[in-house]
Amino acid sequence: MSVERESSRVLPSIPVGPGLIASVLRLLAFIDDLPAGATGVLKFGEDGLILLESRKICWAVARSMRLRLTDILRNQSTPPLPREAVEEIYRRCKIDGKPIGEALVMSGLVTEAGLRVALFKHNGEAIAHLAGSGLSPDAFVSHTRTGYDPKFSFSPCEVLAMLGSLDDPARALAAQIELGNTLVPDSFGAAFVRSDTTSGALVIAVDRSCDLPVSDLVEVCNWTAGLFDVAHTFDREAALARATWGGHLALVTWRAKDVAYVGLCASRAAAARLVGRLESTAKSSGVIAAAARYGGPA
Amino acid sequence: MRALSQPLGSGLESGALDLVCAAASLKTGALLDQNLPERARERLEGLAATLPDLFGTLDPTCLDRIAERLGGEPGDTTFREILLLSDKSLHVIQPLTGQPGVALVAECPATSSIGLVLSAIRARVVDMEGG
Repeated sequence: MSVERESSRVLPSIPVGPGLIASVLRLLAFIDDLPAGATGVLKFGEDGLILLESRKICWAVARSMRLRLTDILRNQSTPPLPREAVEEIYRRCKIDGKPIGEALVMSGLVTEAGLRVALFKHNGEAIAHLAGSGLSPDAFVSHTRTGYDPKFSFSPCEVLAMLGSLDDPARALAAQIELGNTLVPDSFGAAFVRSDTTSGALVIAVDRSCDLPVSDLVEVCNWTAGLFDVAHTFDREAALARATWGGHLALVTWRAKDVAYVGLCASRAAAARLVGRLESTAKSSGVIAAAARYGGPA
Repeated sequence: MRALSQPLGSGLESGALDLVCAAASLKTGALLDQNLPERARERLEGLAATLPDLFGTLDPTCLDRIAERLGGEPGDTTFREILLLSDKSLHVIQPLTGQPGVALVAECPATSSIGLVLSAIRARVVDMEGG
């Protein structure tokens, strides 16, 4: 469950502030707006860059960030990885022009899961620094290939959720586990809360297959928050909803404590399974148990 | 299915399902059945009033993009059915394709069979639309 760890790690040098999420949303929306297969470098002058492969974030760096990837990798092991061994691999990668992370995995010093966690932290921190400093990309230079492994790349949704998780890492970890335990094949989803750090929904967890544009994800979360708000005017206990559209597509949403979840389903069967799973694991309120007794939505 | 043959104006109320339903305006949230019994009106008014907040408030291009990601066909950006569950009640909203701007709103106890309720509502919608 490496993703769970990813969302739970606090990044010490991220410039957390009320406007950070809005700034990050703007930057990630810029990436979403690039063509679907966009591969190359998004440049921020002398202040940083983001490497993309098929519009996924492989690597990001900002001049103002304090931690290097090698520091993160060394310090997430107990005891810390020997500096000399890491730096030797770093030197070789620099000569060969190969990504250091993957070389560290090949060497056996770092696991794939550990590398993904470290890259997630590093890239998230860089993006927060770039967005927080109000910088806009000044160029996108296309490449035919960056050479990064898709396993170690991140969708804008994942980065948004990781930064949203900083508000309360324990809550985000619980939400990530809830998503992992609840979503079914042919569905993907997200968890969100309301927070003072943003004007709308604060996305705190997504499952790895969620690759919606960040603006669409936030739009759906805001609509869902509104659904529960208006439902409360006539039924304060409403905690589970399903909306269908497009013939067979469905949005399933549920609440548990102060966290709301959205599951987007590619079929009615997936929606029924999702509701069924919610019922059987009794992760939400009594309403779900009530639905379980009667077989769930048709 | 005795209740399904009742005219909409009387407000559907089935003893077996304890289901009430009525037509409501998506635009204003007002119940459109003038002769709805008071008890049915009380049960449905709150649900109907939410319609303007639920329909047309989600960017249709956003729903289209989500449909594409889910492998669906873009172009149909209206919710066809919304189901809300609590520990007490099951609430259903079903826009009428034959009467744009109108939806059937329904409510029944949560102890009812959801499948049966949805079947009854869908049959009622077909009935209302002259199917």
